[in-house]
This record gives sequence, structure tokens and C-alpha cells, in this order.
Amino acid sequence: MAVPISQMWTVATYVLKKKLAGNKRYPLVLMLEPLFRCNLACAGCGKVQYPPHILRKQLSPKECFAAVEECGAPMVSLPGGEPLLHPQIVEIVSGLVARKKYVYLCTNALELKRRLPEFTPSKYLTFSVHLDGQREHHDFSVCREGGYDIAVEGIKEAVKRGFRVTTNATFFDGTDPNSVRAFFDEVMDMGVEGIVLSPGYSYDKAPDQNRFMGRARVRRLFRAILSNRKPTWKFNMSPLFLEFLMGDRKYECTPWGSPAYNIFGWQRPCYLLQDGYTETYKELIETTKWEEYGVASGNPKCANCMVSCGYEPTAVIEGFTSLKGFWGIVRGTFSLYRDEHALKLLNEAAPHGPVSLVQIEKPARVLEETNA
Amino acid sequence: MTAEVLKYTLEQVEALELAPGAEHEQLEGWVPALADEDDLRQALEKAFDYRGDVTLTLKSGERIEAFIFNRHTGATLADSYVQYFTPSAPEKRKVSYAEIARLAFGKDRAAGKHWEDWVKKYNERKAAGEQGIALHPEALD
Repeated sequence: MAVPISQMWTVATYVLKKKLAGNKRYPLVLMLEPLFRCNLACAGCGKVQYPPHILRKQLSPKECFAAVEECGAPMVSLPGGEPLLHPQIVEIVSGLVARKKYVYLCTNALELKRRLPEFTPSKYLTFSVHLDGQREHHDFSVCREGGYDIAVEGIKEAVKRGFRVTTNATFFDGTDPNSVRAFFDEVMDMGVEGIVLSPGYSYDKAPDQNRFMGRARVRRLFRAILSNRKPTWKFNMSPLFLEFLMGDRKYECTPWGSPAYNIFGWQRPCYLLQDGYTETYKELIETTKWEEYGVASGNPKCANCMVSCGYEPTAVIEGFTSLKGFWGIVRGTFSLYRDEHALKLLNEAAPHGPVSLVQIEKPARVLEETNA
Repeated sequence: MTAEVLKYTLEQVEALELAPGAEHEQLEGWVPALADEDDLRQALEKAFDYRGDVTLTLKSGERIEAFIFNRHTGATLADSYVQYFTPSAPEKRKVSYAEIARLAFGKDRAAGKHWEDWVKKYNERKAAGEQGIALHPEALD
């Protein structure tokens, strides 16, 4: 696992303190959306379909700090929109770092190289760069030829300047697992700290509602991708969550683990669903009908969700509150997950669906087992 | 518990190959008939889910262009309200259901932004020999 020990220690002690205090619902990562404005226009995006007057709005640094202090999460993710378009993003990040929050600034990196001199490297600050796959796949996914190259330039410059950098990929139906594995090789060669990944989710507000994998297909895809790992691959995620994606673990959603705050308020019930807003974090926790959400509820809006913001908190909490879970982390950190069946899945996999429109050069070999 | 829950068993969910997404109605330009309380509640629920502004006409005659981002439904119309942003003011506002006489759905901000639209456009531009193909965000002015 690529997460630094100091960050793991902070999160582990936080979780244990909450458990000892008897807290049933507490946040691990605040999803702080400072704005919805973006400099990409990805087709099908479910996050930025708003009128211009909404896209012009943004949270002030003061509002950001108040939200962070109100919920108390040890980690803060800054998604959007594109956070680097926020005129006060440097002030926001500096304020969060000063509060010793582990900040993941999620960016498409179109502006990253230009803005880097304004930031200071810190163990608390990670640039989480959105890369959805190899060059052609990423460019097609974000509807911008050349987007991959710009992002990679930003990544390399950030690594050179001593920043923590991860890549962040979302995979939809039609993803070629062989291409994803080749992509992992490429990003690790760039010197990033680790890879973050997630299956796509059918945002209610997304224009498209038909490119989303169900759970059975998600498990098959991620088993193909994440089994037979190369030792060079590092994941900035809980190993238990990755095992959940591969179908080795069954988890229930922990929506309060990644509460979302934006210009509308505290989003009910989670970062992905917009079922209303509350003015305070306390109101969010106390008045949301949590039993109506999550896969066990039968709520069709939660049916296909295996996304990290709901399930990684479950994995993290299990990992740090039980010996069995902790052993799972240790074992998962060093395991290459050898799996003959997954190798077969890889050899059978062929690009299909919308992604196949883009011609990706395939490796000359049929899949060879990764070196141990 | 809302009506939309308890539609899937855990076994059904785990076996899903493709996930059925939400079905979006074509609401742009729609002016719902508000014959009774249920009509108003349903229309405001759709307005809450809508990806664009709606124009609210209050019983006082005031017209408000609003992006409705939240709703609170109480036992009566007077107890229920929507929260919204309007282009002309920075702060969140709210209005009671009981004050609303009419609503009209404005531009759907997701219209024409489907994946298939991009694939079609991309193929056409690629076939024409274009390079550096990209979609760009709409101007906010």
C-alpha cells in the first residue's frame, strides 16, 4: 500500500478513538467541493450540469474551513468541478494543511504545471490527478485530445518538485482490463506515489444512464485488473477495499464516512446521491434516514454502487478496528493476488462498447503472468 | 421510508450485470398543470431533480428564476418549502409551497451532452481530418 505510515497512523488512531468513544457514525474523508466549474466538458459528466449562475458560485476559504472543523474528518478530498479554477484554492489548501488535514486535491491537471509554484510540498498535500487510462482512452473519456499529455506533464513536474501525487481513474462498462494494466505500468513509471481507482456510478444528474456496470460485472472487471499484480504497482487505497472490488469481500456502504459539502450545504446522503441538503453536519448525521440507503436497503439508486466514497470507509474501519481486518491489510499490502481464473479473464477480454472506438495499441504478447 | 426503496433484494443486486440508471423526462419548456396539492408536490419534486432553472410564479405575482437544490416536505403546503439560488442574488433563498402558483421548466443543462453525441461528433470530425478534437465548457457570461 502506498499510503505513508504517518497518514495511516493518523487515520488508525482517529478510528480507534471514535470506536472507544462509542461513536457510530463519523467521517473519514470530507468531500469538499469548492465549486462545480470545470475546464473540461466531459460528455456524460454528472457533476457539472448546472446553469451558469451556479457554476460561477464557489465556497469561500472561510466556508471551507468551517466545514472541515465542523465535521472533524482527518482527510479532505477537494473534487469539483476543477479546484484549480478556484481563485483562492492556494489559500484553501494552505489553511487545510495548517490544520494538519491530509488533503487530496483532485484535478484534471490541465492547469497543474502552471499553478505548481504557488503550492508548497507537504506530507499533508497530495495532487490526485484524474487519468482514466492510457492516452487514447483518457483523451476520449474527457473529450479532449491532448488532455493526457498535459496531465502527464503536470504529474511529472509535481513529482519533480517533491509533491505527493496519485492518479485517479474511473472505469466504465467496456473498459479493457489489459489496457488498464498497461496504464498502471505507465503511471508507476511517472513516479507517482500510488494509484486510486473506482468503478463508475450512475449519477442521477448524468446525461447518460446506460454506461454503468452492475455489481457482477464490476467484480469480474476488477478481478481481471487487480489479480496477478506486478510488484511495482502501488495503490493509494485500502487493500480491503480493492478486495471488495474483486469480489473477495462483502461490505455494506458507509455513506457518512465521506460526507460531502458544497455551495448547497451538506449533501444528503452521500457524495454521489443528491437527495437534499442540510445546513449543518450535525443535522446531516441526525436527520438523514440512513436505513433508506446502501445496498442492503434495496434502494435502486444504490444498487450498482461499489464506489470508494461509500465502501472504502467500511474497509478502513474494518481494517483498523479488528485484528482480522488489520491482518487483511498487512496481507493485502504484500500479496500479488495470483489467480489463474483472472488470467483467463484477461486473455478473453477484448475491448467493446464505446471505448473500443479508440484504437489502443495492444501489447504484442498474449498476457503473460506478471513477474513476481 | 420512501416508496422507491426496497425494490431489489441483495441477491438481485449482486447479480446485476448492467445497472439501470435513472430515467430522465424531457422537462424543458414544461409548464405543469397544478390542479391540486398533489400536482404541485410532484412538480416541485421534479424541479428539485431538474438540471436547470425553473421560473416560479408566486401567488403574489412575483416571478423568480430559480435553481432549486433542496426541498423540505411537510404535512401541509405551508410546512413545505424549496430552497433555491437565483442568478441575481448570492444567498440561498427559500419559498413555501403554499406561495407558489405556477412553475415553468427552463433550459435542461444536460441536453445534448450524451456520450453518444460525443462519439458521433468525434467520428465526424476525425473523418474530416481534424486534429486536437475537444469539447469545451460553455461560456459562463
